[in-house]
Amino acid sequence: MSRYVLRRVVESAVTLILATIVVFAGIRALPGDPARTLAGEESDPATLAAIRATYGLDEPLPVQYLRYVQKAATGDLGRSPRTGLPVAESIGHALPVTLQLAVFAIAIAVLMGIGTGVVAAVRRRRPAEWGANAIALLGLSVPNFWFGQMAILALAIAYPLLPASGFVSVFEDPVESFRHLLMPATVLGTGLAAIIMRQTRSAMLDALTADYVRTARAKGLSSAQVVLGHALRNSLIVVITVVGLQLGALISGAVVTEQLFVLPGFGKLTIDAVFTRDYPMIQGVVLVTATAYIVINLVVDLLYSVIDPRIRVGGPAL
Amino acid sequence: MTVRRILRNPLAMLGLVVVFVATVAALLAEFVAPFPFDQVNFSEPLRPPSGTHIFGTDSIGRDQLSRAIFGLRASVTVGLLSVALSLAVGVPLGLLAGFYGFLDPLVSRLTDTALAFPFLVLAVGLAAILGPSLSTAVIAIGIAQIPAVVRVMRSETLRLRGMDFVAAAVAGGAGDATVLLRHILPNAVSALIVQATVAIPGAIIGEAVLSFLGLGVRPPTPSLGVMLADAQTFVRDGPWMAVFPGLTIVVLTLALNLLGDGLRDALDPRESRR
Repeated sequence: MSRYVLRRVVESAVTLILATIVVFAGIRALPGDPARTLAGEESDPATLAAIRATYGLDEPLPVQYLRYVQKAATGDLGRSPRTGLPVAESIGHALPVTLQLAVFAIAIAVLMGIGTGVVAAVRRRRPAEWGANAIALLGLSVPNFWFGQMAILALAIAYPLLPASGFVSVFEDPVESFRHLLMPATVLGTGLAAIIMRQTRSAMLDALTADYVRTARAKGLSSAQVVLGHALRNSLIVVITVVGLQLGALISGAVVTEQLFVLPGFGKLTIDAVFTRDYPMIQGVVLVTATAYIVINLVVDLLYSVIDPRIRVGGPAL
Repeated sequence: MTVRRILRNPLAMLGLVVVFVATVAALLAEFVAPFPFDQVNFSEPLRPPSGTHIFGTDSIGRDQLSRAIFGLRASVTVGLLSVALSLAVGVPLGLLAGFYGFLDPLVSRLTDTALAFPFLVLAVGLAAILGPSLSTAVIAIGIAQIPAVVRVMRSETLRLRGMDFVAAAVAGGAGDATVLLRHILPNAVSALIVQATVAIPGAIIGEAVLSFLGLGVRPPTPSLGVMLADAQTFVRDGPWMAVFPGLTIVVLTLALNLLGDGLRDALDPRESRR
């Protein structure tokens, strides 16, 4: 157990270091000389040198890199020239919006995905399976931002049932929050639901023919008990894996969804930063996302080594 | 054998026909499209679909069907180039990681690092450095797909390395390069094709998303994503502007997914019979 945990922690740490190097290299690859930008038009060599010395730009790259990492680790991601606010503060404001959206979307995806997946596996070669399969195929083929546009057309414009934009926190007004997030979360969750459905279906098909399920049936358990208590329980590990693997897709999806439904979250912050050339903000956003992704994946890995002890014995499940 | 299995699968054939028609239309857009994609007609703005303008017109009277056909060109270009990029980088890395054990941890960390940047976040970073363009879209989507290619190629190499015919080749005096390129790579092709069938529709949607957000193809170059972005302003007055370009993407990716499922079943019959 401890060896596996240690190995995963070290691997994640190495990945994190590589990711910070990539972000740092990205900053250096930006067009233009930062000192010249700061100095403005009148740039005599003495002023430039002074600015370089103040910001440590005259030091060797490895030293600059270490300084960058040291600052980032203490939560100092620089200051946005556009808003004048610290980048970390803006991210702190945007993050709860995205988290609420993501949690809601994952909940919808898991419910829809597992439900249709179980139906497709149990009702093998019947209309219910074909229906579930068709929905999953559509879920994979329809771009979520277009699905969002169509949802707005139908549910906000043609039949004004739900608001097309805006955000209300669940902690302020749960009902309004639900109304505002229902459409975006469904739009964000459908792609994930389709993937979960396919995986659940295939894991359930394996489980339903396994010996332990036959034993369960033989000892007289009801169909529901066998399907839900035995087969589905063992298929759930797949769902955790899929959600972990699809985290990146979920973050990408959130960027688009927030843009579409005008939610003041992480994704909107990111896109706005690109169009206003707010480089410190872009760096901060990219760094925070990569860190979050690595940490969450580590947690997911460790989590299912707890759920399924075979994983930490057999090494990575690939 | 493989070909016959696909020919007998009606859904895969339907997919193949749609993909073929779309690709030809994209290549020959100048001849297929009823109007030039940039022909402005101020006397017919925001016209709903009709006999002359099957997909309707946009706010400055441009024919939406023609723009969609030209937009397919961007979809097909990005779809093919980005997958080619991910194969060009991912296949050698996967081969090396699977064949030389000491390279495996290094390659794994590199792919983990690439995975740590979600596709859109990567695209945002690249767009900040390179500026939004079709090539930015190709590079962002291509890089995002490299880890999956590396994984497939690595596990195929691991599987094939232990097989008798490879051992026989080694015993016969074949060098590493010969074993990798003549014995392992050709036998991994079907796994790579399956990977590509998942990747291409993903890349096409990726292009639409990036162009929709303004990070990919830029106007005046037509792209289905750009059309959907333009439609945002006119959701109330011209809903068809949003409906048809989106349907075009859905039909194309659905066709590619059907074709991909069929190919997967044909190349790996064991899997499909479950």
